[in-house]
Amino acid sequence: MFLINLLIYIIPILLAVAFLTLIERKVLGYMQLRKGPNVIGPYGILQPFADAVKLFTKEPLRPLTSSISMFIIAPILALTLALTIWTPLPMPHTLIDLNLGLLFILSLSGLSVYSILWSGWASNSKYALIGALRAVAQTISYEVTLAIILLSIMLINGSFTLKNLMITQENMWLIMTAWPLTMMWYISTLAETNRAPFDLTEGESELVSGFNVEYAAGPFAMFFLAEYANIMAMNAMTTILFLGPPLNHNHTYTCTISFMFKTMLLTSAFLWVRASYPRFRYDQLMYLLWKSFLPITLALCLMFISIPIALSSIPPQM
Amino acid sequence: MPGVVELPTLDELNVQEVSVSSAVLKAAAHHYGAQCDKVNKEFMLCRWEEKDPRQCLDEGKLVNQCALEFFRSIKLHCAEPFTEYWTCIDYSDLQELRQCRKEQAKFDSCVLEKLGWVRPELGELSKVTKVNTDRPLPEDPYHSRPRPKPNPVFEGDLKPAKHGSRFYFWNW
Amino acid sequence: MAASKVKQDMPPPGGYGPIDYKRNLPRRGMSGYSMFAIGIGTLLFGHWGMMKWNRERRRLLIEDLEARIALMPLFQAEEDRRKLRMLRENLEEEAIIMKDVPGWKVGESVFHTTRWVPPTVGELHCLRTNEERVNANFGFIWYT
Repeated sequence: MFLINLLIYIIPILLAVAFLTLIERKVLGYMQLRKGPNVIGPYGILQPFADAVKLFTKEPLRPLTSSISMFIIAPILALTLALTIWTPLPMPHTLIDLNLGLLFILSLSGLSVYSILWSGWASNSKYALIGALRAVAQTISYEVTLAIILLSIMLINGSFTLKNLMITQENMWLIMTAWPLTMMWYISTLAETNRAPFDLTEGESELVSGFNVEYAAGPFAMFFLAEYANIMAMNAMTTILFLGPPLNHNHTYTCTISFMFKTMLLTSAFLWVRASYPRFRYDQLMYLLWKSFLPITLALCLMFISIPIALSSIPPQM
Repeated sequence: MPGVVELPTLDELNVQEVSVSSAVLKAAAHHYGAQCDKVNKEFMLCRWEEKDPRQCLDEGKLVNQCALEFFRSIKLHCAEPFTEYWTCIDYSDLQELRQCRKEQAKFDSCVLEKLGWVRPELGELSKVTKVNTDRPLPEDPYHSRPRPKPNPVFEGDLKPAKHGSRFYFWNW
Repeated sequence: MAASKVKQDMPPPGGYGPIDYKRNLPRRGMSGYSMFAIGIGTLLFGHWGMMKWNRERRRLLIEDLEARIALMPLFQAEEDRRKLRMLRENLEEEAIIMKDVPGWKVGESVFHTTRWVPPTVGELHCLRTNEERVNANFGFIWYT
């Protein structure tokens, strides 16, 4: 029974990730006036499975000079964290009804830094190490704004419970109240998941691919899956935080459908951004965070603290 | 001096309990609080003053009886709107009252018509109240030890220190 | 050699006209000021709505808490009776279990006092099944 539960939890995520990779290649293809994968299956629909079969049947490479245990643990950690992050998301019923669900998600996405760091370090290669350092610097920098934005939202929401956000947004989406925060949150999620235009660490098209150069076959596939699962989890978070799906207790599936629809739209916006924008330079990336986002989010956080107190409209604290 | 803990017998404790589910209780809560106000407050006061559940069994029985009567009269007069109301609350996620205002209005009007009960306004039930009671104030609810004898008053002749206070320089 | 018959390609008399290389961005959409106004307006409207809803939510919370206040005496009375009943049952069981031990005072308080000491969950459930004890300890925690 436990195993079945586990599979029911994991398989949909992996399926979604598989088709996300397919749709990414398709969308990018059509945006660049080519077709994208179209050989395997009708319209190339079986491409992700073919990729998976290929990647997992290849011989996993283990560099001679790497520190083996960490080298193996890192991709496992990455995938595990990316899968675990889905547990407290209310859609509309959570798998684990965490009181501090937001903190849980924040800490898990913070932990995923370690998988990057370890993989880069354990590879024992200059390229991987430098790539990992760059990725880690970027990720933890953007986590600062993510945390502050979450804090401001929580000041309106009144608790760290994710489910409470649905009640908060019953009349109005929080994007109305906090659209500057929404914009910064969305851009920060782009950077947090190492997506274009912040994909300096990967540079899939022209650099060797950052912290995971030394990985091949299965472990590489794990990193890949983890990255895309993280993308979708982050977009699900954006949906819950700012575009709260309406909850009707007699028809909960409408909530699920609207939630999925919004998440899908946001994810395709990720793809669109990737197709449209050139990559940032590294110093620009850091300036964007530390010199624009951080001051603005701090100021807005102060505003979100002071306005409810001044207007005597702090949310219920239970 | 550990004494024997005196416990009431099972017969004394035997009361017909209010066996309804949480949704029913929550649906009826406000009216219940208004109707059984006196008995409830009496019991809570007893409980607060005595610090001992054994002393307040009679008051507790009255509370239970009042609740039973309350639910019986609802069942007699307004069974249908009430059932509708609490089913609605049961189906809402966190038993939120705000999901069921329509049913609540129906239930309220029925209760007002048949029984003359008015739903207490917001803030009425949480008011601090004085309770008029005949029960004497318990002597020593904590069974404290007797207070120690006060120190004897010093009889001698007290003079100010010769060189002033030692704390002259540390006078904070 | 005679003059070449080839006619060289030359610019037209008077030279070419000016090349149209100037950046040409049509001004479309709203002006910056109106976009700014709309943004700030949305922000104000959103805050107004949220503040209103927050106050309403606090009222709803008070309503919920009042329901609890109203029900509390009933629950307390029930709980007291239940606890006392369990203690009584434990006491009778104790008398049966310890009847062979000389000098055992049945129902003796473990505390050096005559005041009422609320029994712990373990004390109440010491003679029950493990399942009941676990349920009493963790049964009413509905969140993690």
